[in-house]
Amino acid sequence: MQSDVIIETRNLTKVYRDFWGRQKVRALKALDLQIRRGEIFGLLGPNGSGKTTTIKLILGLLFPTSGEVLVFGKNATEVTKNERIGYLPEESYLYRFLNAEETLDFYGRLFNMPAALRRQRIADLIELVGLTKAKRRPLKEYSKGMTRRIGLAQALINDPELIILDEPTTGLDPIGTREMKDLILKFKDEGKTVVMCSHLLADVQDVCDRIGILYQGELKELGRVDSLLTVREVTEIRASGLNDQAKSEIEEVIRRHNGELISIGNPTTSLEDLFLDIIHQSEAHPGRRVGGGASNGH
Amino acid sequence: MVIENPLPPFLEWIGPAALNWLVVALLVGVLALAGGALVAMLRSGPLAGLRVVGHTLAEAAVDLVAMSPRRVWALAVLGVKESISRRIVWVFAIFLVALSFSGWFIDRGSTEPARLYISSVLSRTSFLILALMLILSTFSLPTDLKNKTLHTVVTKPVRMSEVVLGRMLGFMLVGTALLGVMCAISWVFVIRGVAHTHELPPENLRKPEVSGPIAVGGLVGYTEPSALFPHRHRVYVDPQGQVNIEPEYGHTHPAQAVASSRGTTYVLGNQEGMLQARVPIYGKLRFRDTNGLDTEKGINVGDEWMYRSYIQGGTEAAAIWTFENIRESDFPDGIPIEMNIGVFRTHKGNIEKGVTGGLAVRNPKTGLRVEVELFESAEFRIKQLHIPRTIINRRNARMVQRRANLEGGGVEVSPPDVDERLARKPEFDLFEDLVADGKMEVWLRCVEPGQYFGAGGPDLYIRAADASFTLNFLKGYLGIWLQMALVVGFGVMFSTFLSGPVAALATVGALLGGYFSDFMRQLAQHKVYGGGPFEAFYRIVTQENLITELEPGIRTEVTRMADTVAEFLLGAIASILPPFGEFSYAEHVASGFSVSGDPYILVPVVRMLGYVLPVFLAGYFFLKTREVAR
Repeated sequence: MQSDVIIETRNLTKVYRDFWGRQKVRALKALDLQIRRGEIFGLLGPNGSGKTTTIKLILGLLFPTSGEVLVFGKNATEVTKNERIGYLPEESYLYRFLNAEETLDFYGRLFNMPAALRRQRIADLIELVGLTKAKRRPLKEYSKGMTRRIGLAQALINDPELIILDEPTTGLDPIGTREMKDLILKFKDEGKTVVMCSHLLADVQDVCDRIGILYQGELKELGRVDSLLTVREVTEIRASGLNDQAKSEIEEVIRRHNGELISIGNPTTSLEDLFLDIIHQSEAHPGRRVGGGASNGH
Repeated sequence: MVIENPLPPFLEWIGPAALNWLVVALLVGVLALAGGALVAMLRSGPLAGLRVVGHTLAEAAVDLVAMSPRRVWALAVLGVKESISRRIVWVFAIFLVALSFSGWFIDRGSTEPARLYISSVLSRTSFLILALMLILSTFSLPTDLKNKTLHTVVTKPVRMSEVVLGRMLGFMLVGTALLGVMCAISWVFVIRGVAHTHELPPENLRKPEVSGPIAVGGLVGYTEPSALFPHRHRVYVDPQGQVNIEPEYGHTHPAQAVASSRGTTYVLGNQEGMLQARVPIYGKLRFRDTNGLDTEKGINVGDEWMYRSYIQGGTEAAAIWTFENIRESDFPDGIPIEMNIGVFRTHKGNIEKGVTGGLAVRNPKTGLRVEVELFESAEFRIKQLHIPRTIINRRNARMVQRRANLEGGGVEVSPPDVDERLARKPEFDLFEDLVADGKMEVWLRCVEPGQYFGAGGPDLYIRAADASFTLNFLKGYLGIWLQMALVVGFGVMFSTFLSGPVAALATVGALLGGYFSDFMRQLAQHKVYGGGPFEAFYRIVTQENLITELEPGIRTEVTRMADTVAEFLLGAIASILPPFGEFSYAEHVASGFSVSGDPYILVPVVRMLGYVLPVFLAGYFFLKTREVAR
C-alpha cells in the first residue's frame, strides 16, 4: 500500500558554514512538514527565508545539518527517488547549446527511457508547452518565457508523480501564467502532487490547497489556503435583487422585504495581506509561531 | 635512441606492478577513509559520523555497480556537444596554421630530417591536444556547478559515478576524434615533408680515380642536391649500367636512367628509408674486464650518467650481448646489427676518425668465437654492421671459454673442455657454427689502447625486419592518447571539488610531478648529490657545493630531519603520481624504432588504466560527498 505522505521533513535544520566550519547562516530551523499525495502545496516566504534551501534539501542537492527529509519514504539523497520527481528550477538551468528536442532527449535518456517512448514523449511535451515552431532552435536563442516552457517540459519528461516547481510563473506573460496555473490544476486532477514556491502570491492563492510560510528559516504558518484566509471575526452577507431602500437596512430589510439571501459567512482576506501580516508579526515577536488564520478584518 | 630503463615483458611486469598497485591503492584508500570518517565525526558526532561513512560506502557500492550505459552515454554525448559549442575548431585552425609554417623552421640539412619532422608534429599535437583537454576537463564541471545546469541533471535519477564517467568518456571521445584528424594531417605532412628526389646529370659522372675493386670500369659521381634537401648521394654506375647509390643519412633512392642529347641523366626517385620502424632484438649485456674475467659492469670513466659502462681498448675487456631465439628463417642472409655506443677518449688520437673496434660472434655452447669485422666507431649516431651468413676464417677464430670469478676465489671456466678443431675451419656458417639453440653472443671490443667504448644494454641490437612506419606513426599518437586520458582523468577528478582555474593548476601540477617522479624517487632514496630539498636550500644559502660534507651541528641536524620528512613525502607522492613522460612514444617513433606491442603498448595501457580507475573513484567520492547546490 502506498503511503499518503509524499514528502516528510523531521526536525530539518540546515546551517551554512564557511571554509573553517564556522556558522555563517542558520538557513532552516527544525522544519517539520508533511506533504500529502495529490495536493498542491505552496511554500512562501520572503527572500532568505529558507524556501529554496528546503527545496534543495528535498531534492538532495544539499545535505541536512540535522534532521531528515524523506521523499516517497526514502532518504532525499537516494537517487532512485528521482525517477518519480519532476523539477523545474527557479531559472531553467538548461544547456543553452542544445535545442528543445535535444534537451528533452538528453533528459529522457537520463531516465533510461526507450527511444520510441522518448520520441513520443518529446513530441507531446513540445506541443504541450507550445514550442513546436521553435523546437530546433538552440535554447540560447529562446526568450525567458520560452526557456520556462522548455524547463517545464523537461520536468515532465518522466511523467512524474511529484512535481517541484520553483517560481513557475516567473518570466511568463499573463496568458502563459494562466496556462501554467491551469496546468498545475490539471496535474492535481491527474493525481499528481505539486510543491511550488513563488513570490507571486496571487498565483499561489489561485492554485494551492495548502501553504507553508517560512520566515528566517522557521515555519510561521501552515494550513489550507481557504482556512488561512478566512476572517473569522467578521460576518459577510452577499445579496442580490435588492432595491436601494432595502440595501440601507441590510439583514432586517432583506427579511422584511422577502429578498433572497445568497450567502452569509466570513469574508476572506487576500493572501498578500495574510503574508504581510505574518511577516510583521514575526518581526515583532521573533521565535513565536503565528496563530492560524487571519484574525482581523483586512 | 637511448633506452635507459627498458620495460620488462608484460607478463614479467604485471605481477609485481599489480601487487604494488594494490598496496598503494589500499593505503591511499584507508587514509582517505580515515580522513573522511574524521571529518564526518567532527561534523556529526562520533556515531552519526560513522553512520554517514557506512551509508556513503554502501551507496558507493550501488552507484558503481548499477551504472546505466544509456545515462553514461547521454552524459558523454553532452560532453561532446559542449566541447563543440566551445568552438574547438579553433584548435584545429591553430594546428593547421602551425603545421603549414613549421616546414620553414625544420633544418633539412640535419643528419636526421625525418626525426625533426616527426618530433615536431608529435610535440605540436601533444601540446595542443593536452592543453585543450586540460581546459575542457577542468572547466566543464565547475561551469556546470556555477551555471547550476548540474542541478537539473542530478535531480534526475543520475548517479554521481555516471556524471564523472560520462564527463571523462565525453572528453575522451572529443580528444580521440581530434587526435584522429590531427594524426591524418600530420602523417601527410611528414610523408610530403621528407619526400625528395635528386638528379645526376651526365656532367657529374667521372671515371673513378682510386684503384680497387670498385674502380674496375664504370662511373662515379655525386647527385645534385634536391630542391629542399642539401645533401648529395655518391652514385656508382658499373660497366653493365647497374646503378649503386650510397645511402646518405639513412636513406637511398630508386634510380632511373633517362637518355638525352647530353648523355644519360640518372633520376633518383622519392627517398626510401627515411621513415623507418626498426624492430630491435635486444640481448642481455655482460662485460669482461681487462683480465678477461666476466663481470656485471665495465669501468666507470667518471661520467655522472651511469647508463653506460666502459671497456678499455687494447685489452681483454669486452662488452658481450647474449641474444636468444635467433632463428635462421628470420635471418637467412645474415644478421644486421645496429649500435649506438659511447666513446671515451683518453687521448685525442685522430679526431677526424672514429675509434677502431672489433665485432665478434661466439657460440655460447661450444665457445667458438669468430671475428666478424673491424669497424670505425660512429659517435652520437647509429652504426650499422652486418654479420654475414658465411664468415671466412681470416681473423683468428678461436675457442673462448666463459670465465667467471667464483665467490670463494678461483675462476669458473665454461665450457670446461673445448674442441680446438672447430676453430680451424676455413669458413663458418653463422647458424651452424655460431648459434646454438637460438643463442648467440656478440662481442664488442675496443681495439685502440688508451681509448674506451661505453655500452648500455639496448645500445647494440639485432635489427629484425622493419615494421610498418604508418602503423608506428599511429602508435606515436596512441602515446598522446594515453597522456590525454591521464589529463582528462585528473582534470575531471580535480574539477569535482575545485574551481576551474585551480583544477587546471592542480592537474598540471600532478602531471608535472609525475613527469619528475623518477627524480623525486631518487631524492627520496638519497641518490641525488646535495641532499634533500632543505639541505639543497641550505647549501644554496651558505654557498656550499654539493659534494662536501656539511659541518656537524644543530643546523645540519635540523636540516636533515626536515629532509627526512620531506623525502618521505616526496617518495609517497612519487609512488602515486603517473610517470607522465613514460607514456609518450614520440622518441621511439622519431628515432625510427618500432613501438612493440609487448611491452611498449600493453604496459602503458594497463598502467594508464591503473591510474585512471582510482582517479575516477576519487572523482566520484568527491562529487558524491559535496553539496551540489552549495
